Amino acid sequence: MNAMRPVSDVTELPTVTFGSRSLMWWGTLGFMTIEGWTLAILVVSYFYLRQNFDAWPPLRTPNPSLLVPTINLVLMLVSVIPAWLTQQAAKKLDLGGVKRWLIVSTVVAIPIVVLRWWELWAINTRWDTNAYGSAAWTVVGFHTSLLVLDVADTIGLLLFYLIRPMPLKSFSDTADNSFYWYFTVGIWIPVYLIIYVGPRIA
Amino acid sequence: MTLPADAIDRDAVELEEVWRDPPGIWGWFTTTNHKVIAKRYIITAFLMFIAGGIEAGLMRAQLMRPGNTLVGPDRYNQLFTTHGTTMMFLFAVPIMTAMGLYFVPLMVGARTVAFPRLNAFGYWTYVVAVVFLYVSLFVNTGPDAGWFAYPPLSGPEYSPGHRVDVWAQVVTFTEIAALVAAVNVIVTTFKMRAPGMSLNRIPLFVWAQLVVAFMIIFAMPAVAVGSTLMLAADRALNMHWFNPAEGGDALLWQHVFWFFGHPEVYIIFLPALGFITPIIETFTERPLFGYSAVVLANITTAFFAFGLWVHHMFATPIPEVGQSLFTAASMLITIPTAVQIFCWIATLWGSRPRLAVPLLFVLGFFFTFVNGGITGVMLASVAFDKQAHDTFFVVAHLHYVLLGGGVMPLFGALHFWFPKVTGRLLNERLGKWQFWLFITGVNLTFFPMHILGLNGMPRRVYTYLPETGWGPLNLLATVGAVIIVLSVVVFLVNVAKSWKGGEIAGDNPWNSSGLEWAVPSPPPSYSFLHTPFVTGRHPLWETTDGLPVVTGLSVHERQVLVTTTFDAVPDYRHSMPSSSIWPMYLALCMGLVFIGSIFSPYFVLGGLGISLLGLVGWAWTASNKREEERVALPDGAVEA
Amino acid sequence: MHSAFDPHSPQARAVAHLWWWMFGVGFAIWMGVTLAMLTSIRRRDATEPDSEEGKNVRGHTLAIYVGATLVVLLVFLGYDFAVGRSLAERSAPAVKILVTGHQWWWELEYEDSVPSRRMITANEIHVPTGQLIEVKVRAADVIHSFWAPNLQGKRDLIPGYLSTVWFRADTPGVYRGQCAEFCGLEHAKMAFYVVAQPPAAYAAWRAASSAPHTPPADSIAATGQRVFLSSGCPLCHTIAGTDARATVGPSLSHLASRMTLAAGTLENTRENLMSWIVNPQALKPGVHMPPIPLKPAELSALVTYLETLK
Repeated sequence: MNAMRPVSDVTELPTVTFGSRSLMWWGTLGFMTIEGWTLAILVVSYFYLRQNFDAWPPLRTPNPSLLVPTINLVLMLVSVIPAWLTQQAAKKLDLGGVKRWLIVSTVVAIPIVVLRWWELWAINTRWDTNAYGSAAWTVVGFHTSLLVLDVADTIGLLLFYLIRPMPLKSFSDTADNSFYWYFTVGIWIPVYLIIYVGPRIA
Repeated sequence: MTLPADAIDRDAVELEEVWRDPPGIWGWFTTTNHKVIAKRYIITAFLMFIAGGIEAGLMRAQLMRPGNTLVGPDRYNQLFTTHGTTMMFLFAVPIMTAMGLYFVPLMVGARTVAFPRLNAFGYWTYVVAVVFLYVSLFVNTGPDAGWFAYPPLSGPEYSPGHRVDVWAQVVTFTEIAALVAAVNVIVTTFKMRAPGMSLNRIPLFVWAQLVVAFMIIFAMPAVAVGSTLMLAADRALNMHWFNPAEGGDALLWQHVFWFFGHPEVYIIFLPALGFITPIIETFTERPLFGYSAVVLANITTAFFAFGLWVHHMFATPIPEVGQSLFTAASMLITIPTAVQIFCWIATLWGSRPRLAVPLLFVLGFFFTFVNGGITGVMLASVAFDKQAHDTFFVVAHLHYVLLGGGVMPLFGALHFWFPKVTGRLLNERLGKWQFWLFITGVNLTFFPMHILGLNGMPRRVYTYLPETGWGPLNLLATVGAVIIVLSVVVFLVNVAKSWKGGEIAGDNPWNSSGLEWAVPSPPPSYSFLHTPFVTGRHPLWETTDGLPVVTGLSVHERQVLVTTTFDAVPDYRHSMPSSSIWPMYLALCMGLVFIGSIFSPYFVLGGLGISLLGLVGWAWTASNKREEERVALPDGAVEA
Repeated sequence: MHSAFDPHSPQARAVAHLWWWMFGVGFAIWMGVTLAMLTSIRRRDATEPDSEEGKNVRGHTLAIYVGATLVVLLVFLGYDFAVGRSLAERSAPAVKILVTGHQWWWELEYEDSVPSRRMITANEIHVPTGQLIEVKVRAADVIHSFWAPNLQGKRDLIPGYLSTVWFRADTPGVYRGQCAEFCGLEHAKMAFYVVAQPPAAYAAWRAASSAPHTPPADSIAATGQRVFLSSGCPLCHTIAGTDARATVGPSLSHLASRMTLAAGTLENTRENLMSWIVNPQALKPGVHMPPIPLKPAELSALVTYLETLK
């Protein structure tokens, strides 16, 4: 082995950081990039297929309904607030605050997931009717997998906090969970506009 | 003033205690050691290279004479599909990413990758793909619609049964493994570099892997969407993505697949270019000429690679105006690659290098790859491509670039870094035999195919009539294939002899400049006793009085140093989790979910259910027991 | 020869010329790089590579060669565009043919403004020399590709799309083509022929093909026709002038005038035809035609009848 000459020491460096200093944040960003890009490819494919039709939705296929999707969109936008509050509490290492706002986030998230079922059927045609139905269901269905994953992650975190003492670095992971929630809601906005509003405009 | 020997020995013992795998079989399944995992990846991928080679051998045997009856159409279609799928998804990409997973942390001075359990998960997922494909092949359910699986042929109407479903799931697994590896490479490279290793001091091997990791992130989702969300959905859920009767479009598949498929070949090729620079630098004893130009060339190639995909579709009825754009892009991507080649020749110029086996393979690259690159420019021409597309001319081109541009540098890399991984050198004489047999075999097999293609021989044909006149050149190609087989056998003999019986290598047998040569061969589980401190692009050539290091990482837990992105200033100390069974468990669950989806939705539900247990287990064991925590607060304070 | 190196149309010739230029320049470049590489490892450097002078020389040389590469590429880009434009001749075609690709045969429909002169046949295309031919292509099942290298580049047949290629055959001859997109089990045995004839000969052939079919005069052939109509053949095949009008398989109306059987798989001889009818699976496994067991006398009569279908 080579001889080694020490030039500095890192014993005083922290072991827990937040945001883009932390490795988990970068992992979360990587996951968001992959999933967001996947959704983008699906949306582009949706528009590609649209070229094959004069009418969109195709003739004899009804427009998607707006009621449930719009309610759910509002709920999702509202849910950003407890997610943000959770993140703030986490950064201040406020255990009580984190538990409180995770509970609120969960309470808001569950109806979102439940309503998502009706949101899918609000497309008003089945996935096996025609290419339009296939594309619309796949786009919304894929986003649903991200939604369910993040809600499960939130609930899991909450349960861990309730069951056992958590290391301080879990606060960093909790902050990242909120980061992921912003992403899940954020990418839904254009999807909502394209799938539910779009066919009525064009 | 260097560290005293007894401190070194004591730290080494304690670090080994903390970083080593649990003993026995349990350790084998729970390892999160990036070197162990990468070595397994490389060995498994090389086994796939041999499997793909056997498939090719059978095809060449069938084609060596007209009207041959060695292999019938059904078996032949399974053979070429499995050959392509194996080579592209189970050999080439995995082995290139595995070289990155082994060497990127070492080259940047890190003890491990950023997400060690995710790394293990990726490997086990890949193993599921390997087992699933080959079991399916042996029970006569091997995919048979080509590695590119164009619908409607691959759709529910014309490919009933499960063969294409096997293909779709194999692709899904390998895509997940690649994405996971890519995230690891990117975060390790950005955040875990040795202090002082600013971005403009990263080795070119690492630059190539970093660029490729980004390409994987933007290319792989396309094939996942296509195979899993579109083709598998058309087949299992009666969707209509590709059914023209209900507004679907067969060309949509081609766009989605080739949007992945073209970057895919650069994902295979760019890491190989990353092997070449350290080999040339080492044997010329010179730094690369044109470091910045080569970095820029890598990045430019990656961007361009995403703008070429339509050149796989020139024979389809898409508007010609659009096609011309892709001709231009396909020709212009030559420029960054030419820049790299000229920089290498400039580095070699006048150096009278030692012609060790790794460098021989690099020279073989120049000879072989440039040929493939030129036929690539020819194929970029729409008018010419309409004659050459889907013929053996393309088979010739693709093998010249993949074997010349990918596999030759890979063999050079295997010879070069084998001593680091195993502690022993490969035999030089056997290496030279391997090289000359390989370069002869490759050219003899594939050069005639250019002529065959332009003489009218299409791809993917299990036989041909004697009147076509294609017999003699096919026979020649088969002879060449035998020579390739011989060269691989020589390599395997070399590996077998040298693994335990080769000349002992020592830390730095080639007197190379990278950080990976600062650790013992093979490296201990913790790689670096202390994190190096870097002052230039060639750390080991720049240190005269001992390697400068940074002390202070814990010896009681698995701790790594995280640094800032651009200038690698030490930022915080991150605790890595211990070895874990959850990555393998979760990979097997996912295997159940995706493979089960072919047969019944109940498998999906059940699989997801038991996956949940895995996710909980993974999260539960995320933190080590003994952790001393110092938290960085928003106001800049550090609280214990 | 069935080859892109042997052009018999202006379209194929333009591409062949482009090819030879690209080959010449490409070969020279490849030799140049190889020589540079070999030289680079044998020379001893005059200047120190790390010196200002060493770097300047290399930098300038690099810039020159990269610039030269760019120029060569741009020249070929221009040449390629020019060839593309020259291939775009498509006005006033003399003959229009609709090709439909099936697994694993080619359906051909000769279009005509006079409906009674339209003709449907299979696997063997006749065209007049020296005149522009328009070929529309489409697919009935999976993707195929229409490619006769002596005459024109290939065009993919994509279900849901109708696409068009044009060519002009310079000289009389028989030009082989083969499906060039993997289309399933017997992709390897899906060939076709383009028979280019002088315009007068073509016109005669065309007139003869459109002539109404007369019932078979010969008694054995008449027996053969009865065998045809009662052996399940009409479930898949058409013969003009009879009640057999199915379009699942190739039309047999002009079977006897074709040089080959089963899309270029076999020569069209009496023996081959008999072997094919009795067991097509042995000759082209996976083809959609089942074995037709017939007694030898029936088989012989059937083939005699089929031989009258010119």
